[in-house]
Amino acid sequence: MATDKSSNAAKGLSLSLDTWAVIVALLLALAVKFSILKSVPW
Amino acid sequence: MASSTTVSPVESEQRIPNALSIVPGVLLLAGIGYAAKTLERTINTYAKVHQWTFPNIEYVLWAILIGLVISNTLTIPKVFESGIATYEFWLKLGIVLLGARFVLADVLKLGGISLALVVVEITLSLILMTALGKLFKLKPKLTSLLAVGSSICGVSAIIAAKGAIDADDEDSSFAIAAILALGALSLFTFPAIAHSLHMNDVSYGLWAGLGVDNTAEATAAGALYSDAAGKVAVLAKTARNAMIGFVVLGYAIYWAGQGQAKTVTNKAVFLWNKFPKFILGFLAMSLLVGFHTFDKGQVASLGNLSKWAFLLTFAGVGLRTNFREMSKQGLRPFVVGALGEILIACLTLGLVVGANRIWGL
Repeated sequence: MATDKSSNAAKGLSLSLDTWAVIVALLLALAVKFSILKSVPW
Repeated sequence: MASSTTVSPVESEQRIPNALSIVPGVLLLAGIGYAAKTLERTINTYAKVHQWTFPNIEYVLWAILIGLVISNTLTIPKVFESGIATYEFWLKLGIVLLGARFVLADVLKLGGISLALVVVEITLSLILMTALGKLFKLKPKLTSLLAVGSSICGVSAIIAAKGAIDADDEDSSFAIAAILALGALSLFTFPAIAHSLHMNDVSYGLWAGLGVDNTAEATAAGALYSDAAGKVAVLAKTARNAMIGFVVLGYAIYWAGQGQAKTVTNKAVFLWNKFPKFILGFLAMSLLVGFHTFDKGQVASLGNLSKWAFLLTFAGVGLRTNFREMSKQGLRPFVVGALGEILIACLTLGLVVGANRIWGL
């Protein structure tokens, strides 16, 4: 029962690839904004 | 498609796999990307020093070529597979970050033109592919998958439609193989044709975004022409991707009406589930830049992060293209796909030329 619940919770928390891409992009934007990433060269 | 040498795009569409398992494959993508950048720089410097006339082969093409050589000559060990499949994640991350390089007014103007062209392109492509499928006597659901794949956004659309119309695994593998093989060919044909026609960056970017099926290949085909064309190609392709839910819903309703798929109970939920959410991220990033959240240097940094993400995508495009595996899928779906793609490429080229005359792109 407990295992079922935890696996359901894990499934509920799992995010789609699109959502992960948006989250990571926003985190990178925050890192750039607050100079954690100062200047990204190319 | 299920061989150890071919990364299943089906898997890559779903969820991010566990963190440790992706490390070898991601390192391989990064290694190829770095090698591609180094090759571009080294060859250009060498040609300059020795005063050679040598065409500038960009890192985009090197990354794809190195990936293609590896996947078609070696057997890639299984340990790399889940990491290579993350190329879809890098693609979407790159697109969201690319939003920082678009002024909102450009998004609205070019996005509006793209949307208008996309509606015409999708309608004509669906009619054309359905007619070709009937002519070549393909199975009706395989025809539906090929029509969805070639009119909207390649593999993602086929996967979305497969579930909605209860298509066979075999049919979706056929359709995916045809779309991927044709996408790989378009990487070389689209820029060559555009150069011979002396197309400008915006026109070519629109054409690549409308005419090349898979998002990764459309992005690469755009970037192969120029940086500016790459930006426009992503925008046009994103507008096309936004339509995925509507077309898949149409097919789901049709096949449910035939008693061969589940009935769609809540259309709004269906549309939201099929809508590619990274498009919202792209628009949000463009809005943030529009509200001067970032200074000039920070916008440049975000643009460079986007380029790094795309570099890994391009390496993945080469690595997951295995012509030997694709050829096993049979000739007929490929012939139908190829004929359709050639006609769609001509059609979208005509649309872009017409738009250029009307709106002066």
